[in-house]
Amino acid sequence: MTKLLITEITRMGPAFCVIGLQREKEKIQSIRPVPATANGWMHFPYRRGDVVECALATSPGAKPHVEDRLSTRGFAKSAAVDEPETVKFLRKAEEARSMPELFGCKICENKKGSGLFAQPQEAKRSICGCGTQNLRLEFCGNELRTTAVLSSGEVLRDLPVVDRDWRDFIDAALSPARGANRLQRLERFLNSQLHLKLLSCSHHYVRLGLTRPYHEVCWLMLDTLFPLPKADWLEEF
Amino acid sequence: MNVPPVEEQFRRIIEDCFRREAGTSGRLPEDAADLLECGALDSMGWVSFIRGIESASGAPDLGARLAERTPSFMNILEVLRDDLPATDLERPGHSGEAGNQGILSALCAGSAAALGSRRVPSEEVDRAFGMPEGKLRGRAGIESLAYASDGESELTLGADAMQAALQAAGCGAQELDWIVATSETHHNYPSLAAQLHSRLLVRENCGALDVGGACLGLFNAMQVAQALIGSGQAKAVAVVSADVHSRTLTPDRVPGEFGGLFGDGASAFLLRAADRETVGYRLRSFLFGCAGQYASAIRVSDAKDGGLALQFDGEALSRAAITRMEKVISAVELRSGISRRDVGGFATHQPNPRLVALLAKQCGVSPAVFPAVARTAGNLGPSTCGVALHKALEGSKETNHKPIFLASLGPGLVFGGGWLDFGKA
Repeated sequence: MTKLLITEITRMGPAFCVIGLQREKEKIQSIRPVPATANGWMHFPYRRGDVVECALATSPGAKPHVEDRLSTRGFAKSAAVDEPETVKFLRKAEEARSMPELFGCKICENKKGSGLFAQPQEAKRSICGCGTQNLRLEFCGNELRTTAVLSSGEVLRDLPVVDRDWRDFIDAALSPARGANRLQRLERFLNSQLHLKLLSCSHHYVRLGLTRPYHEVCWLMLDTLFPLPKADWLEEF
Repeated sequence: MNVPPVEEQFRRIIEDCFRREAGTSGRLPEDAADLLECGALDSMGWVSFIRGIESASGAPDLGARLAERTPSFMNILEVLRDDLPATDLERPGHSGEAGNQGILSALCAGSAAALGSRRVPSEEVDRAFGMPEGKLRGRAGIESLAYASDGESELTLGADAMQAALQAAGCGAQELDWIVATSETHHNYPSLAAQLHSRLLVRENCGALDVGGACLGLFNAMQVAQALIGSGQAKAVAVVSADVHSRTLTPDRVPGEFGGLFGDGASAFLLRAADRETVGYRLRSFLFGCAGQYASAIRVSDAKDGGLALQFDGEALSRAAITRMEKVISAVELRSGISRRDVGGFATHQPNPRLVALLAKQCGVSPAVFPAVARTAGNLGPSTCGVALHKALEGSKETNHKPIFLASLGPGLVFGGGWLDFGKA
């Protein structure tokens, strides 16, 4: 049995992609349990910070998704840690300060539009954590996007946000039950209060991931943004 | 130039951006079709499509304004229509045009260039920087460099160019309302604009302003001049660039792979307010931005010991320069409605001749439409675009006064572009 600390739950269409941290002696590494018939889980009733036990095949996935491990049985929760503790462990796993360090390869700009990508054959991994000097969330045509400044000063612009909790939070904020001008209120919150919350949070941390090869390249996305959104923030706007 | 109705311009931009994103084959979706639902675009493509329209139309927050709306051509058109005052599109009676509301456009009435008078073979520069002989020629395509002689400086080169531009325009120095200068090597005070003001004996109440931006500086200066003219605050503005790299980027301060690329030169343009009937090359819209993901490719700062601290990743910078300048040219093409194949000259930054050839290839145009500057004079910083633009204007009779595209970038990575076309407003 393998013990995993769940650190990523991302929304990919109707499915969820899950990543956890595995400790092997002193080394902490990211592992992505995948079901036998797909890349994602249709049902995943656990949360970030949960420690789950599972059975995983040992052979790694194809580059750059070398963290993939075939899951041969279900999950069983054995413990849980809080957010700051989870981030402490994340800081000990894959971490980068600059763009080339993220996935061990050069990051390219989409020549005809927005977004950043890596070549699948060049990238050495598909998940990495990093600190940010600044981070902004914005809506672009109903899609949640982020722009972040890395410790190196490099800017990652227009990355899709796939973090399940953040997407759920945005959906809740835009629920018709919340009354008039929901979008404007949400945008004001994202640009002001939230910005302060993120940057003043001692465990602010992000994890960036690469999509599966799509049109022959792997696109960068924001997999996880700490702190995770809190339900009571909805009362603030 | 006849400006098509705004609605048509919006539709053209939307359709062009869509084709770029979704491919050129196939029919365009119906106006009301949900582009995600009907599978015309995925979510990445949808955002990319919106960003393309934002850049081409100058509507900065199109994406935000499309939230909670069905992703369709119809809704984009509606938001753009509502957004009219925020967009940069040229339309009769609005900004950038000699229109009914009396807003004037900037006509390029005269231009000139001045290069450092010492022509140094690139092999000599190789030796001075301790590089293998032939490296600059073989790797960068530089045959020679224009270096300033002992008596030459940013001031003398800039003043020579400015005097010649005034002469070409038939404009006396006393007519100037502003001098807008840019230089990446002149860091002294009085500033370059102030020194030019004194040197040319311009009237005292003519403003003198310096703008930065390194290799993008000339377009920043032109944008300022255009705004001064467009707002009615000035009728005649001299835009001047002048750079003497050979005294700053010396072998004891920077490596040859960087310092060896640069030469010395200046350019000047006399911009005049023009009504609708005046014929000539007019400055049209500019677009600007900053691609921070490339910030680490080049950083230059003062070191504690008085030297220069340089961070220079030549390969990353070359890649970024080509990608970004091609993007700028695409955005200018979309915004102007002018195909790059109908352009008479590309006054772009020329980091080195090899990159110019690569950019031409990437853009699918002949390298001959990029006036050669860096091959014989080296990279002149902001003056590269200036000298290239002057050459393009000089040769415009041979191209039947075709439009001229502008594109440049500087550390940051700041980027910008625009275009000039010939005719009445």
